[in-house]
Amino acid sequence: MKNKVNIAIIGGGIIGLYTAYELAKRGVENIAVYEKNYIGSGSTFRCGTGIRQQFGDEANIKMMKRSVEKWSTVGEEINFPPLKMAKTGYLFLLYSEKEVEQYKKNVALQNSLGVPSKIITPEEAQEIVPGLDISEVVAASWNPTDGKANPFLAVYGLSKALKKMGVEINEYTEVKEIKVKDGAVEGVKTEKGDVKADIVLNAANAWAKIFNEKLGVKIPIEPYKHQGIVTEPFKVGEIKPMVVSFKHGGAYLTQKPNGGIIGGIALKYGPTWDITPTYEFLREVAKNFSKIIPALKYITIIRQWGGYYAETPDHNATIGKINEIEGYYLSAGFSGHGFMLAPAAAEGMAELITKGSSSLPLDFYDPYRFERGELREHAIQMG
Amino acid sequence: MRIEEHPVIDFTRKRGKKVTIYFEGKPIEAYEGEPIAEALHAAGIRVLNFTPNGRPRGLFCAIGKCSSCLMKVNGIPNVRTCITLVEDGMKIERQHGLEPLPKDYKPPKWKDAEKIEADVIIIGGGPAGLMAAIKASEHGAKVALLDENPILGGQLVKQTHKFFGKREQFAGVRGVKIAEIIAEEAKKKGVDIHLETSAIGIFPNGEGKLVTAVKKNKKLVEFYGKAVIVATGAMEKMIPFENNDLPGVYGAGAIQTLMNTYGIQPGKRVLIVGAGNVGVILAYQLLQAGVEVVAVVEAMPKVGAYFVHAAKIRRLGIPIYTKHTILRAEGKEKVERAVVAQLDDNWKPIPGTEKTYDVDIVALAVGLRPSIELLHQAGAQAIYVRELSGYVVRHDDRMETTIKGIFVAGDSSGIEEATTAMLEGKLAGIAAALFVGKADVKNAMEEMEKVRKDLDEFRSGPFGQRTRIGEKKVMIK
Repeated sequence: MKNKVNIAIIGGGIIGLYTAYELAKRGVENIAVYEKNYIGSGSTFRCGTGIRQQFGDEANIKMMKRSVEKWSTVGEEINFPPLKMAKTGYLFLLYSEKEVEQYKKNVALQNSLGVPSKIITPEEAQEIVPGLDISEVVAASWNPTDGKANPFLAVYGLSKALKKMGVEINEYTEVKEIKVKDGAVEGVKTEKGDVKADIVLNAANAWAKIFNEKLGVKIPIEPYKHQGIVTEPFKVGEIKPMVVSFKHGGAYLTQKPNGGIIGGIALKYGPTWDITPTYEFLREVAKNFSKIIPALKYITIIRQWGGYYAETPDHNATIGKINEIEGYYLSAGFSGHGFMLAPAAAEGMAELITKGSSSLPLDFYDPYRFERGELREHAIQMG
Repeated sequence: MRIEEHPVIDFTRKRGKKVTIYFEGKPIEAYEGEPIAEALHAAGIRVLNFTPNGRPRGLFCAIGKCSSCLMKVNGIPNVRTCITLVEDGMKIERQHGLEPLPKDYKPPKWKDAEKIEADVIIIGGGPAGLMAAIKASEHGAKVALLDENPILGGQLVKQTHKFFGKREQFAGVRGVKIAEIIAEEAKKKGVDIHLETSAIGIFPNGEGKLVTAVKKNKKLVEFYGKAVIVATGAMEKMIPFENNDLPGVYGAGAIQTLMNTYGIQPGKRVLIVGAGNVGVILAYQLLQAGVEVVAVVEAMPKVGAYFVHAAKIRRLGIPIYTKHTILRAEGKEKVERAVVAQLDDNWKPIPGTEKTYDVDIVALAVGLRPSIELLHQAGAQAIYVRELSGYVVRHDDRMETTIKGIFVAGDSSGIEEATTAMLEGKLAGIAAALFVGKADVKNAMEEMEKVRKDLDEFRSGPFGQRTRIGEKKVMIK
């Protein structure tokens, strides 16, 4: 482990790794990533795998459009073809006129920014997912260019590329604190020794506040327990898109390439550090999934796990420079969207660090908006 | 083929009412109370499904643990046919790789779960679980017990041989009989018993515990208690060799289930792999059921079984080949031949020593591993202990795991045998009754001490050495 680097990144999840990649791509040398467990183990490997552009505000749509472009090509770019976004779409099932009105507005905004989403009929939705019970569905919001990617392949592929680019990845190396001197970062103190660094990026997501609090930086990011499940496999292709239903507990579910379902519901607990799976979640998943696609009542859940959403008050991330401390940057609080947003968030942060500004709408994610009372409209927090 | 005459068990009396099931449209005769896969086997059907790349698969464990027997039943895929009982008119089909979702567009009606309350919840109705239930009841606790199999007794129900040990540990009594005795005793003590009920999770519930389960693949059941005893037993190990998934390569336990529990001839000619107690006892039981055993092969340089068991089958003319192993099974859709070879000192097959047997069954008696899935899910600390045959959870001298109020007993705490399972069950049962505040402290402590002595005594000989080493590793001081 080097004892002096240019940029020290705290957190070996998708945000830390992807940002390291974007920085290295721009010619930044001497980058190191510190992960207290193994890479991906925090929230990335526990995520729902969904990638969508169907948001309700301009910034998130633009960011996600950029992310989708990058998710589609990153595998080839890093010479790791197994990593490829599957454009299987996102299908939001709508059960009331009120919901339809809201989604019509969203779709208009999405279309104006080049996202080909549209409102479709229940029958059209059933053509996409034949097992749907559409007896109460009024309409659906459908975007065929949304989809999903495999977080395990993403982390594995990126880490391989990073090592080739000379980025140091330190697993099982917990950062204890960020060292600051005369209002500027000096480096990080890890359990394996001190490292000097000009720039420190806090990409610890759920754990981000631990470092901020020690430095007196008050940005509201809190860990909440969310959970996920996978089922036994069945014939591939029956549930291609991510299917979302707010009416049914905020359920989201899609079929993985091996045939099993991955998904969850919105039920959350917290703020808490406890991520023990709960029976309440298991039961509600079973109940709600089988209301959306009745034949799922015959399919067995084989695994359930817990993980963190690092939530902010408006469910949007905090990405930017920390003003109080020179050289300190934050990319955390993704509120359940870290995996899908990672490529654009990483690109934006890399531009910010190397050029001082970004072509992407990072202002939207300004960490100081809460202090100023300028909360964003709640992002659709789903899958 | 069904067994009509057997020296120990009268199957003609044991069988239930005749029913008809339909395999790929063809009517097949079966008996109420027997599982689907077993009924199909009796009708000569060995291939139960095909893997996504087209390999035929059949029965392997026959106790619901390995998923080799998944079939489509009344249109529903992935049913564990080895523990799902036949019903008149049932439609059974082979699965071909991954099956589509059933064509069902009617949302299910959700009923609230059935709620069961007790002081102590016991998962597993084998020797350990039943004994734990008896002892916990005796010491004043209200007990509920669940088991995913259709009958109580665990693996005792297929042990036709007589046990050793002390009289109070059922010496001289056949395993099947022991199962009946302790099941009867548990019922008499008022234990609330739920069969065909699979535990799916153990969750904390305030100060207490919640065990959630599914009854008959349909109904959600919630067991609320203050303590949980996990006595989920073990599952058969598999060894690598060519075509080890060919239908007819069966776990020793599956063969015992077929012939000793349901009175079905497993095959005509059998090769047994493994000369531990299970392998040689199985050889004898096969002879009792009128099945030919061509040989027992054992990779180790000596026979692992008790001398009396091994001597008995040698007297009956079954050869035991040590330093031999199976190289491959051969056959189109089921076992037709098995090829064995001698091993050198580095465990490599010696060229030129191959022998081919015409057999239709290869019985694997190559050991068991503890079933600790539920304990793992509950968060109990597990470690790998070679001497106990796999991952086991740590426990103290009252069988309590690293999670307060969760106890373990029997093979799920390390592979041994039914006698020690019963002793561990006693210990866990008394300790759980004490934990929930129902037992008289002095009585409980005294009896636990006595059980511990019995356990030590049983494990004291050379055969107990492995267990003694293993127990030291898992024991929490």
